[in-house]
Amino acid sequence: MKARRRRYRRYSAVAATLVVAGSFATACGNGKSILEIGQPKPTDSAAPSGTGSAQPTTVPSTTAVPAAQLPPCPVHALDDVTKPVSITFWHAMNSDLEKTLKALTAQYNASQSKVRVTLINQTGYEQNISKYKAASVSSRPNLVQMPEYVLQLMADSGTVIPVQSCVNAEGYSLDDLLPRARAYYTLRGALQGMPFNISNPVLFYNRARFAKAGLDPNKPPQSLEELRADSEKIVSSGAAKYGIALDHSLDAGGGWFLEQWSAKADALYANNENGRAAPATRVLFDGPTGVTLMTFLQDMVKDGLATDVGNLQSTPDNLLKLADPKQPAAMTINSTAALSSVLSLLKSGFAPGFSPADLGIGPMPGPQVNPGTLVGGAALWLTKGHSDVETAATWDYVKFLLQPQVQSTWAAGTGYVPADTSAVALNPIKAVYTADPRFKVAYEQLNAAADTPVEAGPVLGPQREVRIVTSNAVEAILVGRADVQRTLTAAAARSNLLIAQWKSSVGG
Amino acid sequence: MSRSRWRETLLALVFLLPSLAILGVFVVYPLIRTMWLGLYRGGGFNGVRTYVGLSQYWDVFQSNEFRHALGVTLLLALITVPTGLAVGLGLAVLADKHLRGMRFFRTVYSSTVATSVAVASLMWLVLFQPSIGVLANILPFAVLKDPGILEDPHLALPALGVVSIWANAGFTFIIMTAAMQSIPRDLYESAFVDGAGGWRRFTNVTLPLVGPTMVFVVLILTIRALQTYAEIDLLTGGGPQGDRTTTITYLIYGSKSVISFDDGLQATVAVLLFVIMLIVSLIQFRGLDRRVHYG
Amino acid sequence: MAETNALDRVTGARRFGRYVLLAVIAFIVLFPIYTTVIFALKPGTGVLDYDKILGIPKALLPVDLTLDTLRTAWHQGNLGRYLLNSTIMSVAITVGQVVTSILAAYAFVFMRFPFKNALFALFLATLLVPAEVTILANTDTIKSLGWVDTYQGLVVPFLATAFGVFLLRQVFRTVPDELREAAALDGLGHVGFMREVVVPLSRPAVGALGLFCFLAAWNQYLWPQQITNDPQHRTVQIGLNTLKSANPDRLNLVTAGTLIAAIPIAVVIIIFQRQLVRGLTAGAVKG
Repeated sequence: MKARRRRYRRYSAVAATLVVAGSFATACGNGKSILEIGQPKPTDSAAPSGTGSAQPTTVPSTTAVPAAQLPPCPVHALDDVTKPVSITFWHAMNSDLEKTLKALTAQYNASQSKVRVTLINQTGYEQNISKYKAASVSSRPNLVQMPEYVLQLMADSGTVIPVQSCVNAEGYSLDDLLPRARAYYTLRGALQGMPFNISNPVLFYNRARFAKAGLDPNKPPQSLEELRADSEKIVSSGAAKYGIALDHSLDAGGGWFLEQWSAKADALYANNENGRAAPATRVLFDGPTGVTLMTFLQDMVKDGLATDVGNLQSTPDNLLKLADPKQPAAMTINSTAALSSVLSLLKSGFAPGFSPADLGIGPMPGPQVNPGTLVGGAALWLTKGHSDVETAATWDYVKFLLQPQVQSTWAAGTGYVPADTSAVALNPIKAVYTADPRFKVAYEQLNAAADTPVEAGPVLGPQREVRIVTSNAVEAILVGRADVQRTLTAAAARSNLLIAQWKSSVGG
Repeated sequence: MSRSRWRETLLALVFLLPSLAILGVFVVYPLIRTMWLGLYRGGGFNGVRTYVGLSQYWDVFQSNEFRHALGVTLLLALITVPTGLAVGLGLAVLADKHLRGMRFFRTVYSSTVATSVAVASLMWLVLFQPSIGVLANILPFAVLKDPGILEDPHLALPALGVVSIWANAGFTFIIMTAAMQSIPRDLYESAFVDGAGGWRRFTNVTLPLVGPTMVFVVLILTIRALQTYAEIDLLTGGGPQGDRTTTITYLIYGSKSVISFDDGLQATVAVLLFVIMLIVSLIQFRGLDRRVHYG
Repeated sequence: MAETNALDRVTGARRFGRYVLLAVIAFIVLFPIYTTVIFALKPGTGVLDYDKILGIPKALLPVDLTLDTLRTAWHQGNLGRYLLNSTIMSVAITVGQVVTSILAAYAFVFMRFPFKNALFALFLATLLVPAEVTILANTDTIKSLGWVDTYQGLVVPFLATAFGVFLLRQVFRTVPDELREAAALDGLGHVGFMREVVVPLSRPAVGALGLFCFLAAWNQYLWPQQITNDPQHRTVQIGLNTLKSANPDRLNLVTAGTLIAAIPIAVVIIIFQRQLVRGLTAGAVKG
């Protein structure tokens, strides 16, 4: 029985360790965030303070940097090249998007002999961001596609050549660039990234279910009241289990419901004119507008009119919810970028009873004070640290992708809004807009908004990290049914901490 | 030293050099460097680092995010280790009789050893997915639907635990079966003759003799639990509400982690994890019978 | 291998009961594997088919099967390349670990040199350093060497392992002294003795170690994720992650990829199952 006693001693030793460690863990905390380590307590009004001499000085985001101070873009290095220059492009396009991009790139490669572009699909914006961050200077790609919410991260990173530099070096005209996109990506008087695939959220809905509920399939809901009323009809008529499928993904609902809807409700998301007059120091989404918006959504969920399908981590659950065999939803809000892929999927018979013709696209429902939506999607960024010929080659490829004809083909094969204004007058997108007006919804929505700081949306340093915070908040509100004001206030406090920490948490 | 001794020492050096060099450069040096890096904050894109000092270790240990991750990690270990051991032992006992077709069952129970962590995670993703996954559509539990069990604040971690336990079941089964098969049959017989029933035979003969193996299994399962990463990366991304399934490893390497841009903080957390694993390993190691060679 | 005796024989109702229990548990263990295989063989439309035949949804039944999904997963998912990369990486790491472990273990057992015990303790100590700590710094080292997206970057940090040294040391110690003396009489030096006597005698253990190293290398996730960016050098574990992100709406494609990725290792394990059991139990079982 000595063995048994020894065993007890062993197991109790292990158990004791766990208990000690566990209680150590829970009891001995200091209640502070890991981000606050080594930093002096941030004050509300001042610009982010640094510690020690290594901190670079803050550059207010609206002071124009003189053109001569921009990193150089040697656009003419390609002129004397005899052998093809190889460049790599990290993108995040999948399914139909990837198909179209591959076709266009093949076309580019075949059309000239100076540049060969290698496409590398990292499969997602998040993957692009983490891979890019982890890459050393030599392993960075020449061109990288980054989503709109890392605008300031990229611009401040010191690793890119602003597009403006190439524009200046060549005298390239930006007049044809979609004005709102151009305005969005311009910081400190310079165009930082080149908008390439512009998207915004639209309403995806099942026309057949609308008809079954006695609603007009050609009149999707626009205001929040209509959204609620239509959902009530859908649920009570049994046309679907839920009116609308919501989500809290960092790249979708988790950001949109506060960012997009604040703009539509004519409320600022962050101070200092959404970070456009001066760097934002705090967020404002925990104010009355934010509370009203999130309370509306929470009530929809509580009343069984809507459901939160998750954070879209692995699968596009919100779109799949439309095809759910047991408990479908009739509507969902998703990026227009998915339009082409969804139509292909429906055409393949993926969802029984849901044909491509049954898919309806409407403008994003929301507050109706301001029409339109914010600029979404992604932009192309030229990276530093490569040879002159490679940089020139990259710029050449970027120019190709922004040609009106190319943008027309790109928009027609995807659902994106053409970044070039003359593209809409060219086929194929011209024909597509006439034949299938669903593709036009995003385009009209984008151009409906005015050019004010409110309707331009926020620009923050740690915008991605703030989106993670708001995504958790939306989850807590919709899934956890938490108190809206308290959740938003806590999220705002966390966001403000992130903003204050911006300089040190990125080292930019 | 004599000349032949010198030559032998030199030869020994040659024999040892490959291992020493690799381990030195890729294990010892990183440990030292990470400890040093843990004194700083920053890194990010342009490598600007600010010195904080030893207090950074203490502050990180006390910080909310670390304590939470430690709690998640320990909870995951608590879920997977005892259950994993029980499953392995239970299956081994179950399959220990001589029945027709037992070889088939033994093969089935061992089968999960062939799955890598990524494969196992994806197999369970198909089951757990809320709208088109299998379990949501054949079982009536509401928690499986929207947003699904992997996003339920209370069940996401146990769901990950289930994946780990399943993936480790084959491995633990093989080990426990081998241990059980090395028990001399006549011990059972004499116990039987002494009038001991099935359960008594189990506690008095089986358990003591597979005891050391069980401790070994606990050690391995604990190490694996403390280092869980791939399942989280593939299935929950750190979990519902941002951090419900964020273990310490995920806090360091996860893409959505709050310190994903700060090399220094990552290093600090890594060293703290090292210390924790050291303590846990040493305690469990101590419990091992000295005669058993641990692998 | 024990003889069947009164204790082992299970009769009647208890026998039936045991079979039921065995079957139920086997079902639970196999269910995820079965689902993966079935979904991998279904066309995209079959995954959502919840019409029932005999109470079981058609999505789970082996009806309407096709090989197209597997073919698509292979081509679109670039799985051939990923499997090749995983194989190259795993084989290289296995060879490296086995060779360096043989050399080091031999030195510890059969040679005399100063600080032997301290060095061995150092080796053992490295076993306590977890991957999380080393990966952070190793990424920087590999980056500065310019070995990102290369085979050497994947392989070199893992060419040695203290575990192998420990294991083989235990085994080498069992080589009888008489063989040592006989070899010396035959004029064999250390290298000869190692090559002609020690290694052949320890072949089962070396084989087990090799298999173990191969499995561990094949299973690596964090390290390949950190240092490979382009598909040319991606390993199959990360390739599955890529397949999943690139096809978020096609679950059957993801399962097809999973199945393809799982088959090679299943084959290896079936072929080497004896070594596997030996390797796994080498440290665990007394005697």
